[in-house]
Amino acid sequence: MDFALSAEQQQIRDMVSEFVDEEIVPVADEIDHEDEFPQDLVDEMADLGLMGMPFPEEYGGAGLDYHSYAIGLEEISRGSGGLGTVVAAHTSLAGNMLYEFGDDAQLEEYLTPLAAGEDVGAFALSEAGAGSDVPAMETMAEKDGDEYVINGGKLWISNGSVADTVTVFAKTDPEAGNKGISSFVVRPEEDDGFIVENTEEKLGDKGCPTAELRFDDLRIPEDRLLGAEGDGFVQALKTLNGGRITIAARSIGIARAAFDEARDYAGEREQFGQPIGEFQSIKHKLADMDTKIQAARMLMHKAADKKIRGENFIKDSAQAKLYASEISREVANEGIQIHGGYGYTKDFPAERFYRDAKLNEIYEGTSEVLRNTIGDQLLDN
Amino acid sequence: MKILVTVKEVATVEDEFEIEGTEIADQYLGADLNEWDDYAVEEAVQLQEAGVADEVVTVTIGPEDCEQTIRQALAKGADRAVRVWDDSLEGVDLLDVNAKTEILSAVVEEEDPDLILTGVQAGDDSFGATGVSLAEEVGYQWGAVVNHLEHEFDGDVASVRRELEGGVEELTDIELPAALTIQTGINEPRYASLRGIRQAQRKELDVKNLADLDVDESAVDSDLELTDMYEPESESDVTVWEGSADDTAAELGELLRDKGVAP
Repeated sequence: MDFALSAEQQQIRDMVSEFVDEEIVPVADEIDHEDEFPQDLVDEMADLGLMGMPFPEEYGGAGLDYHSYAIGLEEISRGSGGLGTVVAAHTSLAGNMLYEFGDDAQLEEYLTPLAAGEDVGAFALSEAGAGSDVPAMETMAEKDGDEYVINGGKLWISNGSVADTVTVFAKTDPEAGNKGISSFVVRPEEDDGFIVENTEEKLGDKGCPTAELRFDDLRIPEDRLLGAEGDGFVQALKTLNGGRITIAARSIGIARAAFDEARDYAGEREQFGQPIGEFQSIKHKLADMDTKIQAARMLMHKAADKKIRGENFIKDSAQAKLYASEISREVANEGIQIHGGYGYTKDFPAERFYRDAKLNEIYEGTSEVLRNTIGDQLLDN
Repeated sequence: MKILVTVKEVATVEDEFEIEGTEIADQYLGADLNEWDDYAVEEAVQLQEAGVADEVVTVTIGPEDCEQTIRQALAKGADRAVRVWDDSLEGVDLLDVNAKTEILSAVVEEEDPDLILTGVQAGDDSFGATGVSLAEEVGYQWGAVVNHLEHEFDGDVASVRRELEGGVEELTDIELPAALTIQTGINEPRYASLRGIRQAQRKELDVKNLADLDVDESAVDSDLELTDMYEPESESDVTVWEGSADDTAAELGELLRDKGVAP
């Protein structure tokens, strides 16, 4: 059992960390305040390979193993939670849908520009009436000659308003329950009938636009179908399993940012004639915060390890995401507490970490659904 | 054109530190690629991308521990690396300019580069002499403290801008082969890309000892001895005047003259 990073993984972490400290951290507050998609940063990240981390070089990616990808995403999220979601949704969801289920022509045409960061990707599964209950979706795709016609709408779609490629789930057989769902590649720029209705005003996760989409007789050629008709539900579950490793990474990155700020503050802030970090009550908080971060990180790497080995990692990624997301909120909460009144103001980033962390417990499987997933795995085996 | 870039891993120091004898205590030290060398590597890689250079080779004097730092330079685009280390270097506290010159000149003889780029200085021991000393030893022309290098070479001539004291700069044409010591700010060093980092792990990193280079172990002996290291005491003092600018400006002027700040 080896817990050390390889030389290559260390270099990747160091490079991304330096990029984050110099390019992302200085503008993180502005991203949070403006809530605009940070296109310039995304372009810079594309040049470095950060928009296609886990995909093979032949498809424009950086060819990283899943540990390195998680490390990269953890660092990016340490700088900006919103940017962490941009990259995670683009890569783990949209990118992996194409990589895992696309045919050669689809890989060439849609994955390659995505992995190179020329295109931005989004994954459109949730609907107003279909969140955790995926088969309740109402979006329909009807075959018409050599085309599909999609009608319906999607909600809470990260990157949805800026994406060049959206993987859309729709029912091709409304009578077949979860076996009647299929997935398609939709190209907002070229496909008529793709409408961005709105973007949400959110508690946190600023900079990543969360869009409401509507499809109004959206016509696409039949070669946009990913895999076979009826595969969509299983594709979504498989993709979300991998995605959870990177939401764990986002959680850990935000928790680390909250911890770093709190530790620095505890060393500088003096009350009763000494730095507050020397009081046991604060020192113990810091100890708990770091212990939780270290434990979450191990769960994340364990899930990544099993994924790399090709073993079943459903339980592991659910546990990593569940635990990391909950401790990210707890650590960010203690970060505010250590800052006292200052932590509750916008003069310090502590409150941003808290707002960004909360989302981890909701998207890509709520804590409640993940406990079901974990429980099912425990009882089935 | 072949470019040889000297690359050093330097010690970095935390803001708060303690000195033990003539050294900063280990727990306050980190390691990184020398800042000036980062600019030298970038300049070499840009010359290669512009089609001026065919090959960029780095050379480092240092133990195995510094290979990750060397790979940073490879990740940014250098083609291969040479690392020189020897048992006789193991216990040396202070490797002086003469020793570095002798070792590096042996590498220059083997590699026969057209252009040598070094940092102006190293961030830790700051001799600021190795580049020029090396040029003298191998019989190359040199230019020190270069803050601009024309990427269009006129035959065998490098056109450089050098930074002099007092905000003065000069333009110099230097005939190749030459060594240039590179100043920070000459370019904007890139971040290594993820692909670059992965490729760097597979690039050639040749390790040589002094015997491989025909350098005698006595080269390592130094006439220099580090006798002390300390933090200079700094004094700070504040004078506050109350009243309007009309009343107090003259007093401020007088104080500045007293302290020697204003003429």
